[in-house]
Amino acid sequence: MTNEPIIELHDVAVEFSGFKAVSGLNLSVTKGELRCLIGPNGAGKTTALDVICGKVRARSGRVLLKGQDITRLSEYRIARRGIGRKFQVPSIFREMTVRDNLEVGYCKHLGVFSNAIRFRRAERDGLEKLAALVGLDDVMDEPAGYLSHGQTQWLEIALLLAQNSEVILLDEPTAGMTVQETMHTAKIFNSLKGRHTIVVVEHDMAFVREISDVITVMHQGKVLAEGCAADVQNDARVREAYLGSGGIAHA
Amino acid sequence: MIDIVSQISVGLSIASILLLIALGLAIIYGTMGVINLAHGEFVMLGAYAVWFLQTYLGIGLFAGLILVFVLIGLVGWVVEWSLIRRLYDRPLDTILATWGVGVILQQGVRLAAGAELRYVKMPDALVNPVAFMGYDESAYRIFIFVVAVALLFVTYILVFRTEFGLQLRAITQNRDIARCFGVNAKRIYSLTFAYGAGLAGLAGALVSPLKSVSPDMGTNYVVDAFLVVVAGGVQSLLGTVASSYLIGQASGVLAFLSDDTMAKAIVFLSVVVLIRLFPQGLFAMRVRRS
Amino acid sequence: MKGNGHIKRTLLGYFAFCVAILIVPIFISDAYLLNKFARYLVFGLLSVALSLSWGYAGILNLGQAVSFGLGSYCMAMALKLRTIPIQTGAGGLPDFMVWNNVQTLPWFWEPFHSYAFALFAGIAVPVAVAFLIGWFIFRARVSGVYVAIITLAMLVVINLLIIDQQRFTGGFNGITDLTTFELFGVQFDAYSTALYYLAAIILSLTLLLGFAFVNSKTGLILQAIRDDETRVWYFGYDVANYQNFIFCVSAAVAGVAGMLYTLVMEFASPTFLAVPISLSIVIWCAVGGRASLVGAALGAIVVTGVQGSLSDTQAFLDTWMLIMGALFIVIVLFLPNGLVSMLELIWRKKRPLQGSASARLVASRASRAGQATGHRAVSSR
Repeated sequence: MTNEPIIELHDVAVEFSGFKAVSGLNLSVTKGELRCLIGPNGAGKTTALDVICGKVRARSGRVLLKGQDITRLSEYRIARRGIGRKFQVPSIFREMTVRDNLEVGYCKHLGVFSNAIRFRRAERDGLEKLAALVGLDDVMDEPAGYLSHGQTQWLEIALLLAQNSEVILLDEPTAGMTVQETMHTAKIFNSLKGRHTIVVVEHDMAFVREISDVITVMHQGKVLAEGCAADVQNDARVREAYLGSGGIAHA
Repeated sequence: MIDIVSQISVGLSIASILLLIALGLAIIYGTMGVINLAHGEFVMLGAYAVWFLQTYLGIGLFAGLILVFVLIGLVGWVVEWSLIRRLYDRPLDTILATWGVGVILQQGVRLAAGAELRYVKMPDALVNPVAFMGYDESAYRIFIFVVAVALLFVTYILVFRTEFGLQLRAITQNRDIARCFGVNAKRIYSLTFAYGAGLAGLAGALVSPLKSVSPDMGTNYVVDAFLVVVAGGVQSLLGTVASSYLIGQASGVLAFLSDDTMAKAIVFLSVVVLIRLFPQGLFAMRVRRS
Repeated sequence: MKGNGHIKRTLLGYFAFCVAILIVPIFISDAYLLNKFARYLVFGLLSVALSLSWGYAGILNLGQAVSFGLGSYCMAMALKLRTIPIQTGAGGLPDFMVWNNVQTLPWFWEPFHSYAFALFAGIAVPVAVAFLIGWFIFRARVSGVYVAIITLAMLVVINLLIIDQQRFTGGFNGITDLTTFELFGVQFDAYSTALYYLAAIILSLTLLLGFAFVNSKTGLILQAIRDDETRVWYFGYDVANYQNFIFCVSAAVAGVAGMLYTLVMEFASPTFLAVPISLSIVIWCAVGGRASLVGAALGAIVVTGVQGSLSDTQAFLDTWMLIMGALFIVIVLFLPNGLVSMLELIWRKKRPLQGSASARLVASRASRAGQATGHRAVSSR
């Protein structure tokens, strides 16, 4: 595994009608790494992901992907360069079947015209394997809107796997999952490390400890501390930020 | 010079009418997310109401105004209560349903009152031009402008300085939380819709002496009003006012330079281009959608 | 789309419909009736055009009549230029131009001397207008609601323009007194069997091609866009392109319908480009089932068929419109997917789900009921 950074944020600031969600944010993620972003609510974690994938535009600063400046690019161009994103709020295609959802996610071919003559039976097997991986193989033909909350999370992860991006950004992927499901998710993420670079915003510390190489703690729009789990837990500034909540062990 | 001044005054009265209609629309859309395609028919009903009051009951325009506001407001209330409230989570379907309401209202009027053009008399007091800044101005147009400004002021007070307005703004921002605080969303929605409808009816009443009254007069106005709302940005009262006056004035000038149709076409194209540059309208707030 | 079985069933339905409309002339030979039916088929085609954008991609085009009208005018212009000089007026100019003191044929009328050009224009002009407007509104990423308003405004404006420019367009009266269209030796008189077949064949072809198209990957992506437009961008698809594409395809189909309509009605008029007809298209589509091409066609045929068989008087039409308005509201409230969806419901009731999928479905529905509302995802503005 090389040590070249694949995602870099330099002094990024994002503002919403005067409210500084993120300011002076500096972040660097290495290729193949699994990075967790944690922090109290309002720390700017989701905004950080938003800036990387192009959902919001930085007021100042630069965002680099593989050394190239993507700060001003539209989100679909950023996606084409290899960034996939899962959002905090469930965003699957409720009226389509699970199978159809995965087919949309399988976005190797993007053109309107080329897709107009492309019929969908071709990728069937690959998608079924994907569904099996996340345990959705027996509901392939159900409308996605009928899935339970946990299953919806699975589908979202499966969509990202279908997209097969180099960089995968996830916002609270285990929200609402049982312990078992969380552990399964951890297994999947660990297997993706190396081939993919993963950045996860999470609250579940057990999960975070299980999967991450490096943890970045954010607070009030900036990076507060960075390091492996043990370092971060013992960091005085982090303790202070989480003052009263018994430290991040209970985050 | 006379032409320019009269041009400005014509533009102002067009803008004022537009403002009244757009205001009602904007309030309804801004608060409830409802696109009311029957809004034009509310305007039309206001005009017919005045004609009816004048022709059959001998009530003049001035006295009729309040009556019309209340009457059309009532119609709005009924529409909201019976139909709109079932469609809050379906914005595209609301458009369709209100379009249906518009059709029913228009056809109803056509069947009841006939499709011929009707005429409303201008109140005697305002028929003669008044001298204004050395030029003769149509008193009626000035009257329209004054009423529009007055209503704008009233609306502002209502929305920003009353308890009702506070609750209205609360449910606009976040309906569920506001309800947790005891705000009766249903009632507010009904009242808001009724208010918007009343404003439209008033606009119709005011414009009736200037143009003839017919069952299909509504469509033109609703399209103009929507362009105003789209250009100005929905969440902003200021935006609606500014773009009413911008578009009203521009229409007036363009109509003077070429003709009504060209004016409309140019305004339309301008709005389409404008929207490409400012998709949220000219005065939108940037909010993080979560 | 669901599994293979579903697709096969649907395709069968489409075939049945096509066969049904194609064999009508075997049983009906009354020229007047054939013309009426041809008219219904044209409306069916128009309804299909709207269904493509609205039902599949969620684009509510309230101005679909624009494409329709433009197509019809193109055909009318070509036919007018070939009409025997007696009706055309002096010097080969259409009569209304002569009445308006136009001296020479305007430049944009010239190419319509050729049928090939007219046929091309009947599709190209609506598509060009759609592409232009579409480029602005879809790139701007305005919400569906704004798209509806803007397309309605476009309709009103273009309608006014056509009426206004009566020196070039025949104004309020439109372009009348047209010769009969002839192609490859076949005369397509308004009351001929040939015209009926033309309409039926075009409708059938459109339905079958349309079916293939909506089952392609592009069709799937468009449905995803309808479901959650914002999410689709993040896969890298250029959503605006997809939207503009289907918008233009709809325009093309509506343009063809317009050309046929001129042949059926023997004139072109600004009423083809007006709000009432645009509203009707939406109603047909809603009644029949917007997300089903054949449903949309059926909706148009059934509604206009019933309307046509009852009466033609103005008083009736006004009342009919009122009833339609009410019916429309009822459909929007209770049957948003039209009558065709009723068939789907019946089918589902007869075929309950098997095994674990069923149990999971029941369980997940229960848990879903507990999920908060307002989770409209990262989507709709």
